Amino acid sequence: MTLFRTTVGAALLFACLDHAAMATTQNVIFNGTVTATCTLVVGSNGTMTVSPDLQSLSSHNSGGSAGTVTLTTTGGVSLSVDPVTLTTVPAADSTATTWTPTYLSSGAHTIAETGSSTALTAPGADLVSVHLAGTKGGSNRFANGNYQATVTLRCE
Amino acid sequence: MKHALNLAAALAAGLMPIAAGAQSMSPMRGEVNSFTDAFAVRVFPANPYDRKIKVEIHVYDQDFQPVDAKISPSVFQLGSQASRPVLVVVPFGGAAERKVRICTESIPFPNQQTQIRAQICGKFFGHRKS
Repeated sequence: MTLFRTTVGAALLFACLDHAAMATTQNVIFNGTVTATCTLVVGSNGTMTVSPDLQSLSSHNSGGSAGTVTLTTTGGVSLSVDPVTLTTVPAADSTATTWTPTYLSSGAHTIAETGSSTALTAPGADLVSVHLAGTKGGSNRFANGNYQATVTLRCE
Repeated sequence: MKHALNLAAALAAGLMPIAAGAQSMSPMRGEVNSFTDAFAVRVFPANPYDRKIKVEIHVYDQDFQPVDAKISPSVFQLGSQASRPVLVVVPFGGAAERKVRICTESIPFPNQQTQIRAQICGKFFGHRKS
């Protein structure tokens, strides 16, 4: 009789414990969508210096510096520069200048210097260096005075 | 036309993302169905800088020619790490569909020799339903 009571009690206890454990199990589902994004933060603008033959005004020349931009993206975007249209030149400069904007990148995407569009497929952050070079041909030379140009860096 | 703008604005609500800090513009992709002669997109330009900046919104076609769209507002100041909604209503111009770029441009810092204009462009596709 004692054995019977012990067995029934143990069985009931097990049934209760098992039932309680099953009642507390439930899954919670989380969903999230990350859409294509791109952030550009201009760190510094560039400086151009003139070459000894006065036919190049460029951030590549000695003493010149590239502009820097921090790029952060989820990927699925492209990076490019526009042809330069906004320039200010001194009054003494009446000859044509060919402006060539380029960029290069290090970080999540290693991009050699280019003026073409580059697809950024992977996510990550980059330091983008933006260069600008102005050149004159023939006997034309850069003149004394202040030059200014605007480069548009686009992420789309 | 007022009803068309209201409907377009209502359709734009379908594209509204959760605005977050440190994004230059969100969303950057979108497809809109419209039953009117225009479609609307609501974008959220953001200022990732630690200072106030001036922002301009422009709309271009696929060849980067300006599009005569209604932008509200088109030029504004944005505080550090702030974001705000901008409503863009693009006319179909008689076409059944239209692809446009909506671009957020920061105004370059003045008094520098080589200025950099950062431009974030989103691509949006409007379909006119009859």
